[in-house]
Amino acid sequence: MILKIRKRDEPWKWGALVIFLGALLFSLGVSALLLAGQGKDALHGLNILWQGSFGNLWALEGALLKAIPLFLCSLGVAVAFRMQIWNIGAEGQFALGAIGATWMALSFPDLPGYFLMPLMFIMAFVLGGIWAFIPAVLKLKLRVNEIISTLMLNYIAILLLDYMVFGVWKDPTSFGFPMTPEFTSGAVIQGIGGSRVHWGLLFCAVVGIGLWAFMRFTRLGYELKASGEGVRVARYAKIRYGMLVMFVMCLSGGFSGWAGCIETSAVLGRLQPSLMVGYGYTAIVVAWLARLEPLNIAFGSFLLAALRVGVENLQLELQIPAAFGVIMEGMILLVVLAGQFFLMYRLERVTRTKGE
Amino acid sequence: MTTSAFVRPARVRPLPEDAAPVVSLKGVTKRFGKVVANDGISLDIYPGRIKALLGENGAGKSTMMSMLAGRYQPDEGTIEVDGVPVKFSSSKDAIAAGIGMVYQHFMLVDSMTVAENVLLGQEGAFFINPKEMESRVNELARSYGLDVDASDYICDLSMGERQLVEILKLLYRESRILIFDEPTAVLTPEETNRLFEALWRMTEQGKSIIFISHKLEEVIALADEIAILRRGRIEGELDPSAIESKADLASRMVGKEVLLEVNRQPMDLGSLVLEVRNLTGLGLTDVDFSVRRGEIVAVVGVAGNGQKELVEAVTGLVKPPLDTVFIMGQPWRKFFAESTWNRSMCYIPEDRLGLATLRNQNLVDNLLLTTRKGFARGMWLDKKRAERHTVKLIEKFNIRPGRIHALAWQLSGGNLQKAVLARELYREPRFIVAEQPTQGLDVSATEEVWSRLLEARKMAGVLLVTGDLNEALQLADRIAVMYRGRILGMLPTSEAETASRIGPLMAGVLD
Repeated sequence: MILKIRKRDEPWKWGALVIFLGALLFSLGVSALLLAGQGKDALHGLNILWQGSFGNLWALEGALLKAIPLFLCSLGVAVAFRMQIWNIGAEGQFALGAIGATWMALSFPDLPGYFLMPLMFIMAFVLGGIWAFIPAVLKLKLRVNEIISTLMLNYIAILLLDYMVFGVWKDPTSFGFPMTPEFTSGAVIQGIGGSRVHWGLLFCAVVGIGLWAFMRFTRLGYELKASGEGVRVARYAKIRYGMLVMFVMCLSGGFSGWAGCIETSAVLGRLQPSLMVGYGYTAIVVAWLARLEPLNIAFGSFLLAALRVGVENLQLELQIPAAFGVIMEGMILLVVLAGQFFLMYRLERVTRTKGE
Repeated sequence: MTTSAFVRPARVRPLPEDAAPVVSLKGVTKRFGKVVANDGISLDIYPGRIKALLGENGAGKSTMMSMLAGRYQPDEGTIEVDGVPVKFSSSKDAIAAGIGMVYQHFMLVDSMTVAENVLLGQEGAFFINPKEMESRVNELARSYGLDVDASDYICDLSMGERQLVEILKLLYRESRILIFDEPTAVLTPEETNRLFEALWRMTEQGKSIIFISHKLEEVIALADEIAILRRGRIEGELDPSAIESKADLASRMVGKEVLLEVNRQPMDLGSLVLEVRNLTGLGLTDVDFSVRRGEIVAVVGVAGNGQKELVEAVTGLVKPPLDTVFIMGQPWRKFFAESTWNRSMCYIPEDRLGLATLRNQNLVDNLLLTTRKGFARGMWLDKKRAERHTVKLIEKFNIRPGRIHALAWQLSGGNLQKAVLARELYREPRFIVAEQPTQGLDVSATEEVWSRLLEARKMAGVLLVTGDLNEALQLADRIAVMYRGRILGMLPTSEAETASRIGPLMAGVLD
């Protein structure tokens, strides 16, 4: 008996879901092996992981909290990926958003929230957008590969953030710690009904639905989707490709900027280097897992956020290295990507005909 | 003219009566989905002879050779090597059987020497010292009279020399059958001559050569046998000495028998929709013609004689020199800056899936591709209305599958072309550029495309670029024949002798 690869006539209908669940199971399996390899009880470890992610209200709140910035960054990444513009600079755009929001919060501390908050969001969007606009212009004018330029701008952005909190904006009363003064109450997004989860969640829903509607019902959204099929088709259809690249990058950077703004304002209440925990990179994983669909991105963000919370718990309970979570994330993505193959192909049993 | 610069060596090479073919294709058929690329092909390759395979783009040459080289497996029929049926599951198998291919794009490592490239990937070549390597390769080159130095780096070599390295690679692997895919496309005339000499020398040592080309003069000069491939079938095999003229060969290649006939009535001519004035550049020389509403002007020629460049300039993909192209009475620049979505120009490209449609989107989105401005209300897109129109067009043009949510890649070639045509005609064009509109379509789809184009003449002028002579004769009012970037003749189809004049012009013969 031989297995042969055959192309499917129609894409596998429930394939995406099956592959995703398969990938999840596979990476949990490998994680169990890794745990066992460290001399831990693997099943106990997986149980702790589950308890830490979904087991109680505190964990769920934590997951939801982390899902908010992840969702916005991922939405931004996905909208660029839709057009086959490989913006992997969400991390840097997130940082610039945080800087923009902080700038407003520190400049106008006495403004009431309903003035200050929009100012922070606008500035976060503008700075995040500009950070993504730079690679777009470099790509169009000088043919610089956006993968390289967005990635390198991440480092510059993080250093810029460090410069601000170690220098110009450092709180004189912080005993030398690198952090800005605490935001005034008008600059802080409040929790919903006394829980840890804040109103940024609602903002995410609005942005998500807005983007979905934009992609589906507007001419610009359509042109964006069409351009994703290639530059040649775009030119055939007389779509202004260059304009669209700049637009989509600004949008993409702006979304990540918003994520930075919300995280700074709602969770930390001030700007400090601990803001940067890699949401911008995980967002790329989420966007791919979700196949760039906004609703899937919401689920994907929650799932990977829960995984993060769970692994943090596991780290504490079993003294597992911090890299464990990153390994799991990477493994899920790799298996899902490799599994895409089965959407278009299937394995078929071939029995050899006699006489060969 | 430089066309027959090739000096054919005096060699009388009749095929011996008892010659046994080294490779035979027996009734080989290959399908890609519903498209039959090769249809029951039978062909014999004899040792020590050059077989030229002549055919238009899309005739099935590459598919056939890819099967010989082990990249595809035939759906039906068998390939025999030395009389024994073989099944190649990869190109490795083909190489082991002695079949090697020189591709159009060379596969060489620029930063390595000739010798290193030749021995790359060879078994037992891992621990060879450079001197030994070079002397082996030099010896091989000398024995076939190939003028290359094994110690040269690839990046320092000309295209012709690189090709010799590709040949050396095959000879080193002791290939007995060497396949050349359009080998002269990258060569200067001088290099072409040297390649031909090398090929003849190889046949003297018993190698078989398969030479794929659509350049008539080269094929006549080089080959011992010519096989003509058209629409996936062997159209005929002939002896080069039996060829009366290049024109004869040209018309056999593009086909002249009438497959279909349509009833075409001349129409009153309207305003100018296309004017090309003395266009020189972009690979074109002094192209000058015009198209009016109510007529179809066909551009024919052997592929690669400037048709593609002309279409690109006219449709706005490439910018032509100033004041050479005028569309609907406006200079090129102004037209493309201001053109509206309807009652203007439309383009039906040869590349249906990669250029004219969105591969992974449904029919509604594909309708919107060029008509989106017509369905826009401010920034919004009226999808409901687009869906209703898609349903209507699917019905009117009988597109299958009849679901609006079918994705473009799921449609067969004929249905996809009907969908493109439906969309472009929905724009009520005044000027249509149609490029190979029936290539790869079956008879009924071809007929439908033809009648739609004839119908479209009522409101539009049509520029029809085609490799199918019959199509040009059936549809067009005038036929422009292109050769080496020039229009050699503009012939009205109303005159009886036009059909017989096209062949010579395509071969570059001016009476």
